[in-house]
Amino acid sequence: MKTGLVIIGAGIIGVMTALNLVEKGYRDIMIVEKKYPGSGGSFRCATGIRASFTSLEHVELMKRSIQLWPILSEKYNIPYARHGYVWLFTREEDLEMFRCIVDFHNKNGVPTRIVSPEEIAELVPTIKTDQLVGGVYDPLAGKASCFKALLNPLAYIIRKGVKLVESTTVYKVLIESGRARGVLTDKGVIEADKVLVAAGYGSKEILRESIGVDFGLRNIPKHALITEGYQRVFKPLLIDWETSSYIVQVLHGGFLIGSSLPEEPDKPPRSRLEYPVKAVNVWIRYFPWLAYTNIMRYWTGYYVMTPDHHPLIGPLSTVENLYIATGFSGHGFMMSPAVGEVMADYILGEKPGIPYVEHLLPDRIIKGRLVKEIAVFG
Amino acid sequence: MDPRKVIVCRCENVTLADLEEAIEKGYRDLESLKRYLRIGMGPCQGMHCLLFTAKYLARKLGKSVEEVYLPRNRVPLNPVPARYFIRRDWREMTG
Ligand SMILES: Cc1cc2nc3c(=O)[nH]c(=O)nc-3n(C[C@H](O)[C@H](O)[C@H](O)COP(=O)(O)OP(=O)(O)OC[C@H]3O[C@@H](n4cnc5c(N)ncnc54)[C@H](O)[C@@H]3O)c2cc1C
Repeated sequence: MKTGLVIIGAGIIGVMTALNLVEKGYRDIMIVEKKYPGSGGSFRCATGIRASFTSLEHVELMKRSIQLWPILSEKYNIPYARHGYVWLFTREEDLEMFRCIVDFHNKNGVPTRIVSPEEIAELVPTIKTDQLVGGVYDPLAGKASCFKALLNPLAYIIRKGVKLVESTTVYKVLIESGRARGVLTDKGVIEADKVLVAAGYGSKEILRESIGVDFGLRNIPKHALITEGYQRVFKPLLIDWETSSYIVQVLHGGFLIGSSLPEEPDKPPRSRLEYPVKAVNVWIRYFPWLAYTNIMRYWTGYYVMTPDHHPLIGPLSTVENLYIATGFSGHGFMMSPAVGEVMADYILGEKPGIPYVEHLLPDRIIKGRLVKEIAVFG
Repeated sequence: MDPRKVIVCRCENVTLADLEEAIEKGYRDLESLKRYLRIGMGPCQGMHCLLFTAKYLARKLGKSVEEVYLPRNRVPLNPVPARYFIRRDWREMTG
């Protein structure tokens, strides 16, 4: 088999990259997926989208993504809404720390603001605010359907000639005289001019086998559950800062609650009774009616973390025609429209237009030049 | 029978016409059909509709039911009221 570009991994990142390439007229693409599209992180995600981060790299990348989301939504019929985010604080010191974060956002074009418990009650109907000292509101943030965001563009690019090869595992990228020339899979060799590694945590093993470099990726277990669907009660995604737990009424109507439990990284995640206990008890303090909802599904997944919690995106300086897009550290869904655009630029030999995006080149890990944040956050 | 009047998934109100249209558009495995149409994502967790969809898809594509593979069921198998998880000692229990 032979193709122009092999993309390893049919997650949201691989699909968005292929979509941008197809839109620019490059169609000789084969996406090779271990299981089925979305089966990694992408179909497990909480669908949240925001630009309110604490590094210039994240803020600029996400500002571009938030410009692109409504366009994608329109073109590919992806449900998307700017419903906002609200951070909830029960302790004064957290509110104090966020004052300087909000300053940073505002200086960089992200319109967050501090809100009082009364304002929170207006933004979030039915919430009990008695234990709150305040919050932060991000009106630019939002959510989109993670299923339609992946499946609709995928169906479109397949109609345009992109090949999807499912149930096929890539072992390594084949490299000859410093250039990528294909991949070795469990079903044989696929020759290619260029290779993009977008295989989530699977990228770690592939890159170690192919170039002997470990980029320090770690899998951090995460838990999520969703209730049956109900009529809209509140719009913003809410974060309880003290317990690092969030709740979002997704566009389909279910209440999705996500958080973590004290757990070892890199171990296969499993369902634990403690999780629904944590989810329910954190959130009935704010919404007593939650006790009467029905929990429908509980699942686990990973955040694929890098040493500086920023993604690895771009070409490698040491191997020609080999590209990497992984390590999204819990934010790959929201970033995927901008990352798809950037990766398509790199693959076509163009210079991406997003400020600071070159700071996210994978080489930085090898050279020890990690991205700096103004505060450790989220 | 009019495929618009045949309900495939009662929880999410999906008709046979919806299913046929999705297969036509290229959603040809159960995992994609489940996410695209929400078949089996409602309270019954696919107990009825997914098996029917698998059989229908297999016949349509000339494959066996095993080949179109069944999605994994998630806990809980039946919806559980959130109040069953209320506990005074939740903080100690969840670290
Ligand atoms: C509970 C939870 C909530 C989240 N909430 C949000 C959120 O609100 N907002 C947000 O932006 N992000 C969120 N995320 C993170 C987001 O889901 C991920 O960052 C994103 O899906 C990453 O996309 P990806 O394409 O890089 O990886 P994946 O979707 O994991 O895709 C990688 C693909 O590569 C395949 N693969 C792996 N190894 C190989 C191999 N050797 N050969 C072939 N294929 C291979 C895998 O099967 C997989 O399909 C959440 C994650 C979790 C777990």
